[in-house]
Amino acid sequence: MQTEQLILQRLDAIQNQLAELEHRQRAFDELFEELTPVAREAIATAIVKLDMLDKKGHFAFLAEVAEVGRRVVEGFTPADVRQLADAIVPMLDVVRALTRPEILQIASDAAASLRDGDHVKPLGAFRALRATRDDDVQKGLGLLIDVLRRVGHGINAAGAADTKALDQKAKLGELLGPRRHRMLPAPAPKATAAPGPRSEPSVSAEPVDPAAWTRDVAQALAHEHGITLDAPRWALIDAARADFAITKASPNIQRLTAVAKVTTKDLYQLFPKAPARTIAKIAGLPKPAGCL
Amino acid sequence: MDTQRKVAIICSKGGLDEVYPALILANAARQSGIEALIFFTFWGLDAVTEKRIDHLHVNLAGNASSGMPTMIGGLPGMEAFAAHMMKKSMSELELPTVREMLKILVDSGAELYGCELAMKMFRRTRDELVPQVKDVITAGDFFDLADGAQIIFT
Repeated sequence: MQTEQLILQRLDAIQNQLAELEHRQRAFDELFEELTPVAREAIATAIVKLDMLDKKGHFAFLAEVAEVGRRVVEGFTPADVRQLADAIVPMLDVVRALTRPEILQIASDAAASLRDGDHVKPLGAFRALRATRDDDVQKGLGLLIDVLRRVGHGINAAGAADTKALDQKAKLGELLGPRRHRMLPAPAPKATAAPGPRSEPSVSAEPVDPAAWTRDVAQALAHEHGITLDAPRWALIDAARADFAITKASPNIQRLTAVAKVTTKDLYQLFPKAPARTIAKIAGLPKPAGCL
Repeated sequence: MDTQRKVAIICSKGGLDEVYPALILANAARQSGIEALIFFTFWGLDAVTEKRIDHLHVNLAGNASSGMPTMIGGLPGMEAFAAHMMKKSMSELELPTVREMLKILVDSGAELYGCELAMKMFRRTRDELVPQVKDVITAGDFFDLADGAQIIFT
């Protein structure tokens, strides 16, 4: 009995809630019906407004502004911005210097000259040269050259700064070691080219082993060249060896005439064929280097 | 060595930079045991003419390697200046002067000849040439002397 009553009570409550929901639903529907025309109008107006803005180019402008912002962010590093901050004072100085009344007057005069360009007579090379005699033209040329000099100086200085940065980078690279090539295998050693056939010079370039050189070896070498070593020839051989000991270079003919106190003519008489080379060869020295 | 190598050098220009190669080549040939003769013709005669030998110039105008614009290289005095600079750097290298080179060449056994036709053209006499010149010869004589030689034209 008690249970039935409880169930009935619950059903009553549910029915009441449903009625309440239905009422709210109806109220919403009415509201929508009333609001729809207003909303439609508002949206239509908004579209018209936006369309107008678009036609005036505001959106394109905004898009461009966004693009500029993006480029600024992409193209500049924080370091650049810091530099800009440092540079702002000199930049303002430049602007101040440019806006001084006398400077503006000069610029205005120059502009007037450009404006009246039609009346200027064409100048040939000679007339241009003659025009440089004019004091004002000279002053202007001087100024131009000065500007050029300063610009050039600036370019050089900037170049030097760049090189400095590169140097620093190279130094850093040295400290860190090679990056990309670290994993690559070491390059194979270059094969030494086999000596090709070449014409034999009149006197062989290969010196005898200096340690193995004796006066007997010299006699034998001289004999090979069809020369008999006598006192004046021995003097030259000794002079060449003595000079080599000092200079570490085989003496050429000029040098031999100086150290051995002989004339060129004598040298060619004593050693008719390639004197300096033959003397070096017999003395166990390398072939003399140089053109003379 | 069975055959004796031999070079015949024709020096046809009188610029300092045009004479030296001929002289140095001839000298290098002698030092290498190669016979050498030089035939001086046209402006090359200046290199063996007593009055001119110490005043050979370097031609700057039209010389692309000089680094000097032709307009400036052609100005009066520029050739003398360039010759002066070149002589200075040559003396730093202890390179003998043209006059000294001629003496060295003759002492080394090289032979120097003047061109007969060029002598007539420039109205130059044998007395005006330096004593190192062995003879004044014709082109035909030159070919006779250069028999078997390698010929180099500068």
